[in-house]
Amino acid sequence: MLKKRVIFVLLYDNGIFSYSRNFCLQKVGDLNWLKQNYNFSHISFFIDELIILDVSRGERDSDKFNDHIGALTEECFIPIAAGGGIETASQARDLFKHGADKIVINSLASASTEVINEISMEFGRQSVVISVDAKLEEGKFNSWINSGSTRHTPLLEWLTDISKLPIGELYLNSIDNDGVGNGYHLDLLDSLPESFPVPIILAGGAGKYEHFADALQDDRVNAVATANLFNFIGNGLEKSRNKLLSNGFNLAHWDSYIALKMKNILI
Amino acid sequence: MSTIKVSVIDYGMGNVCSVISAIEYLGAKVELISDPEEIVKSNILIIPGVGSYNKGMRALKDRGIDEAIVDSVINKGNKILGICLGMQLMGSHGTENGDMKGLNFISNKVTNFSTEELDGKKIPHVGFNTVSFNEGTDFFEGLPQESDFYFTHSHRMLLDDLNSTHAICKYGVDFLAAFQVGNIFGTQFHPEKSQTNGLVLLKNFLKSE
Repeated sequence: MLKKRVIFVLLYDNGIFSYSRNFCLQKVGDLNWLKQNYNFSHISFFIDELIILDVSRGERDSDKFNDHIGALTEECFIPIAAGGGIETASQARDLFKHGADKIVINSLASASTEVINEISMEFGRQSVVISVDAKLEEGKFNSWINSGSTRHTPLLEWLTDISKLPIGELYLNSIDNDGVGNGYHLDLLDSLPESFPVPIILAGGAGKYEHFADALQDDRVNAVATANLFNFIGNGLEKSRNKLLSNGFNLAHWDSYIALKMKNILI
Repeated sequence: MSTIKVSVIDYGMGNVCSVISAIEYLGAKVELISDPEEIVKSNILIIPGVGSYNKGMRALKDRGIDEAIVDSVINKGNKILGICLGMQLMGSHGTENGDMKGLNFISNKVTNFSTEELDGKKIPHVGFNTVSFNEGTDFFEGLPQESDFYFTHSHRMLLDDLNSTHAICKYGVDFLAAFQVGNIFGTQFHPEKSQTNGLVLLKNFLKSE
């Protein structure tokens, strides 16, 4: 049976991993901070996937970002998605070359679908994740682009357009709940057109185990994501996963503790 | 024991970083190769790859790699593991973006999941899914008979009359998740992205006689 997924998201801001609340960024720590506080090579055995987004405002240093992807993906045997500010197929190619299995596209989808078609033809549609940021305004959800700074279209309209693109997954994020830690905005799912064709990753608002559980119970949710660097610090993700598994949630099983025994086993 | 040396075939189809880091984690040495002569001489080969069948096969042909692989595996008896698109290319032919002949190591063909068999299920088939092994063999040693592996694909091979060590996964229909025919191994899933289950399987492949 196809399993649901728990995804950890790292927000990268010019060399520093950041905490985002309603899309306002707060710098938290660099790669060393992350390795110390998350014991990254250990915690990666308790998540299903990793998403790394370059959310740097202003000019992006893509070489530096690529180096960070390389460093994070060592000893991390899960799919990696990367993105942030992608505008050309060659930027996407660079990310694939540095270890990304999928790329995440947001604002570009509103400007041109050509690049998406090109990437999809070259790497397959399963490697394209479309990210959509939504905000509740006067009782209705609107989609926003450019790091949540520009109102785009009503959410339903945008998701209907997106459903026709050659993509592999949708990353649906709530600007209102982002970083708040009070739970996911499940109402967002009501803006999905009927029989939306690709798997849905719900993001924005997870603060504790129960929030994962609430969202994973919804049939429309294929994966839950959290970018909250504070609420799952230490072994929070490990504990949440174990609790989900012991409560019968449909997540993948593997023996995380074999990993240490596997290291250099062939030498 | 001397160091195990693995050659990963680079033909420009997708991410090879995770395959390399998984093999290095296990303690083997990896080289990335695309020269046909080196392919013929390599004792252990891996063809990774994501993307379209047609494009993948053409990429092998353009570099003269397809014949080198056949020579290495069939004539020299070197062992090979095909991952995802790499496994699909080992079949007789694919139908993605037009018919294209494969390496034909096994007679199974690659076609898309049909609407009927999907019955509303989403495509691509992405995420961890349960794989059932047909019997205890070296390739699946140390893993429970039902184990979870990471998939991401829209096309699949059916079991057809493949008479060998194999594993099945169900997504609307039972399809071929992995197989071993002598020195030829294939996995539709990504062992390099399947946590410890994948590391165990890669180790089994590398250690197999």
